[in-house]
This record gives sequence, structure tokens and C-alpha cells, in this order.
Amino acid sequence: MPIFEVLTPMSVLLCFLGVFIGIIMGAIPGMTATMAIAIFLPLTYSLDMIDSIGLLIGLYVGGISGGLVPAMLLNIPGTPSSLCTTFDGYPMTKKGEGEKALKVGITASIIGGFFSLTILYFFAPMLASVAINFSSVEKFLIIVFALTIIASISKGSLLAGIFSGILGIFISLIGTFTDNNEMRLVPPGLEDELVYGFSLLPVLIGLFAIGQLLQEAEEGMETASHQKFDLQKGKNKFSFKLFKNQKVNVVRSSIIGTFVGMLPGVGGSAASITAYSQAKNFSKNPEKLGTGEPEGLVASESANNGLIGGALIPLLSLGIPGDSTTAILIGAFLLQGIEVGPLFITSNPDLWSGIIFALLIANLVMFTLMFFSIKYFAKIVLIPKYVIFPIIVVACVVGSYAINNGIMFDVWTLLLFGLFGYIFPKIGVQIPAFLIGFILGTQAEKYFIDSLKGSGGDLTIFFTKGPIAIVLWILILASLIYAVIDSRKTKKKAENQQAA
Amino acid sequence: MDVKEFFTIEMSYSTYHLVFPRIIMFILIVMGSFLLIRTLVKKSKDRENSAPFKFFTNHYDRVKFYGTIILLTTYAAVLQHIGFVLTSIIFMILLTLLFIGNLRKKSILVSITNGLTTTIVVWYVFGQLFDITLP
Repeated sequence: MPIFEVLTPMSVLLCFLGVFIGIIMGAIPGMTATMAIAIFLPLTYSLDMIDSIGLLIGLYVGGISGGLVPAMLLNIPGTPSSLCTTFDGYPMTKKGEGEKALKVGITASIIGGFFSLTILYFFAPMLASVAINFSSVEKFLIIVFALTIIASISKGSLLAGIFSGILGIFISLIGTFTDNNEMRLVPPGLEDELVYGFSLLPVLIGLFAIGQLLQEAEEGMETASHQKFDLQKGKNKFSFKLFKNQKVNVVRSSIIGTFVGMLPGVGGSAASITAYSQAKNFSKNPEKLGTGEPEGLVASESANNGLIGGALIPLLSLGIPGDSTTAILIGAFLLQGIEVGPLFITSNPDLWSGIIFALLIANLVMFTLMFFSIKYFAKIVLIPKYVIFPIIVVACVVGSYAINNGIMFDVWTLLLFGLFGYIFPKIGVQIPAFLIGFILGTQAEKYFIDSLKGSGGDLTIFFTKGPIAIVLWILILASLIYAVIDSRKTKKKAENQQAA
Repeated sequence: MDVKEFFTIEMSYSTYHLVFPRIIMFILIVMGSFLLIRTLVKKSKDRENSAPFKFFTNHYDRVKFYGTIILLTTYAAVLQHIGFVLTSIIFMILLTLLFIGNLRKKSILVSITNGLTTTIVVWYVFGQLFDITLP
């Protein structure tokens, strides 16, 4: 399908703009791609679906990529997904090779991006065609699997992770059950406001943007950056030849990124960490990693851009978001009245190719913009937080208010969940798990009730439905067992370190 | 009671909306109390080793933290009564000043610029360009 039959000039322009803004927001420490999309989501209310996809995909790619700038220059990851970029990027900057480091990172990013795009293009329709035959039993079990896998991979205790997910489901149940139009769990006095429960968007923006704001306020809004950095000192310049020896590394890291992205709810930091540690395992001189080797940058950055395509796979084929950012994209589809799920690709072919083209363009724009004007983007890290955060607040409030055409209660929802977003990490509730629970909660209920309607209330239906259900149970158990073994390993490691 | 009956939930149309929330609530309470007890037991076991639970980070910025919460709440509360443009300009100036943390001439200038530009840009882009309802 020719590219411009699908994408309007407007959507290409918005994609360009999205990448630009995304890079800026990703480059500001404390601001993430997730936040960028959450803030701009209300704007898409008045756009066509295809145009808003251009904007949002641009923000996504730009936001993830922009994170490498402060990671390398200031040793602060601009987004969590650039965590491991600091390990080798910052030492390189200190050696006066900042520009080289940035360009290595940018090149690795675009390779990772294209790689995952290819996997998305071939894999998502396949997965969707399998998922089309799923009954409500399998759909319910997939949601359960999504929740156990987030809990098992996220840091902290497995039980706390599952608890967070179930808490999210619980909150999502507030309001009316559409099957019999009965209200439940609504506190007295709020029946009018909570007929349909809390709106998705204010909850999302609150958890991510306002929560972050409160945390920064607690820490005094320190602007981290009055360090000096030299972008280019000496003759050690960037050249694409660097990548000659990195072929295996690039491909391996992109694969890792894509697959980590596919796991529901697992975000960019996991992709970056896994790819980096594998690069270290396979490296010829592992002791050099962490001292300013391009090898480490390549691993981290190709993995976190690989994540993007990966995270879109479960979203577009199963309707389950691959990370918090794609969770917000669900909000964008809902705004336009489009349901994501196994039928999405076949019933919206234009939109599907639009997404693919937008990703393609976004990656190209990201590369061109950053590669040739990285010197200017490097200055972004110096924008003080006291200027940025007030802007964010107003944008969030306007967005929440506008999302349902002017409901003040949504602004209060924003603030309430902002408070939650601030408190949750402190008491051990994991936000990604909570969020996925909140987003999938109502669907989980629907599939659960539908399954039981079919079986006359017999719970054993979840085990006896058929081979796919059994496979899903095995996956659920495997994710739990993995988590238990992994936490024992970490504990042992910690004990050994204490003893030593 | 045989096994089959034990695994069967009574389903009737009028209570469909309660089945799932009840199960979820039950799991939440069981898990929540287990986690709470586990934390308490751990705490009492190695009392010397573990520092007491601290909600705030050390030396947290009281003024900025509570100031932000108060400003946010007030902003939301008066937004609809006074109107978007005026409230937002005032709110942004105050918030920027709070975050900068002093009242020097330069800070005041920065905050006023920030407040005016943002509000006008948001008002224009959202309200006029994209025709989105503003408070």
C-alpha cells in the first residue's frame, strides 16, 4: 500500500512534531515518553485517528530516544529505559567523546527501532489470527497471565506486584456493570460522578505526571544540571565503521528489546538492563564495559528502541498493552471509539498500515533530527525543572478537563491519582502492575462472567476448556515459578555480598 | 457436598455485578493482610538492623511539597469560578516562584514569563486551534 494513500500530509507533519517534542521531553530528566503521550493525548480528541497516531507514535519514538542525551551527558537517565546508557555513555563524555557517544546511541536506536518494526509487522497479524478464535475463558486467562508476568518481572516482591495488579482491577470495577446495569462499589454521594467509574486518562496522567511532580517537589525541585560537558575533544570521532564489530550485539540487543517489550507491563528499563547484561556476558572484554565502551551503548539503546515495536505487538493483536506507554495508547484508541483486540488489524487495515508507516517515519525523523542537531538537543538538559513542571501541571489539568468535554470531576480524579502515584511507590504498590490491572479490570470481569454464564457457574471451566487454556495455565505457572527462583537468587547474591 | 458443587458459583442476573467484585475484594483482603503481617513480622525480627519506616526522604522539602499540594487543590477548586486564563496565570506564577524558592527580581520575571506564555499558548492551541473545551 503506498505510504501517502494511508498517511495524510497532516499526519506526517504531526509525526515530525511528535518526534521533536518527544526528544525534548525524553531529554529532560524526570520526564518520560509515557508522560509525553499522556499530556498530548487530549489534543488528539479533535484529530482524525490516523493523524493522532502519527503524533503519538512520534512522541513515543522521540521520547524513548531523547532519554539517551542526559544519560550520556549528565549520568542521569532521561527516561528509565536509558538506565544502562549511563554506564558507558557518561565515561565517554568525561573522556571528551560526548558527541561520538551520542551518535553511537542514535544509530543503535534507529537499528533497534527498525528491527522491532519488522517483527511487529510480521508477528502481530499472526498472533491476532490465533487470538481471534479465543473464547472468553482464554481471554480471561491471558489477562491473568499479563498480571502474573508483570508481577514476576518487576522489582520488589512478587506478592506485592500481584496485589498491585488486583488493586488496579478493584478500582476499575467501581461504577456500573454493563451486563445488568447495576452500580457497585461507588461511595455514597458520588453516584452521579462515578456512574462509569474513573476515566482512564486522568488516572493515567495523574499516576505518571502529577505523581512525579509531587516527588520532585518533595526532593526540592533541584535542577540536576550545572555540570559542564565537552562534546568533542580530541580526534576520536564517530564513524559508522564502529558498528562493523557490533553486528551480533545489535541484533541480539534488538531481539531482547523486542521480546521484553512483548511481555505485558514490562517497561524499558528491563529491556535496557537485560540487553546490557547479555552484552557483558558475550563480550570479548567484559571488564571494559562500564568504562566508556560503545558496545554498552549499542546494547542499551538498540534494546530500548526495540522495545517500542515489541510493546505494540500484544496491544494490537490481543488488546493487552506491552508497557505503560502503550497502555496510554489504548486511551487514544478508546477516544476514537476503536477497540483494540484480535480483530483490530483485520477490521482497520488502513490504521494498521498507518501505524507501521508512522513508526517508519518516526524512526527516520528521530535519526535525522538527532544525528545532525545533537549539539542543540544536548542543551535541553539544562532547562530548569521549575520552568517545566508548572507547564506540565496546566497541560495535565486542561487535558483531564477536556477529555470528556468539560467534567470538573476528572480534574479531581487527576489530583487524587496524582497523590496515589506519589504514595504507591513508597508503600510498595507497583504502578505498572496497578495500571495494567486498572486498564484490563473491566474486561477481566466481562470475560469472567461470560465464561461462567457459559458453564452455569462452574469454575472448573477455566481448566477444562481446551488445550489453549492449559497452555495459558502452564505459562502462568511458569511466570510464577520464574519469579520465585529469581527472587531466591537475588537474595542469595545479596547475602553473599553481605558476607564478603 | 461433592467437589463439583464446591467449585460452582451461583449465578443470577440480578447479582451479576457483584460476583467478580466480591472475589477480587476477598483476594485483596487476604493478600493485603498477609503482606501487612509479613512486613510487621520482619520488622520485629531484626529491629536493630532495619531503620524505622520513613515515608518522606531525608530532609524533604516541606515548603515545596505542601505548597504544591495546596496550590494544586486551590487551582482546581477555583478554576471554574474565576475562569481558565486568569486562574492559570496566577497559579503558574505562584508555582514557578515556589519551585525557584526565592523572590529575586529575576525569579519573578521568569515566573511571570512562564505563566503568561504557557497560559496563552495553551489557551490558543487547545481552545482556539483544536477547539477543546477549557474550564
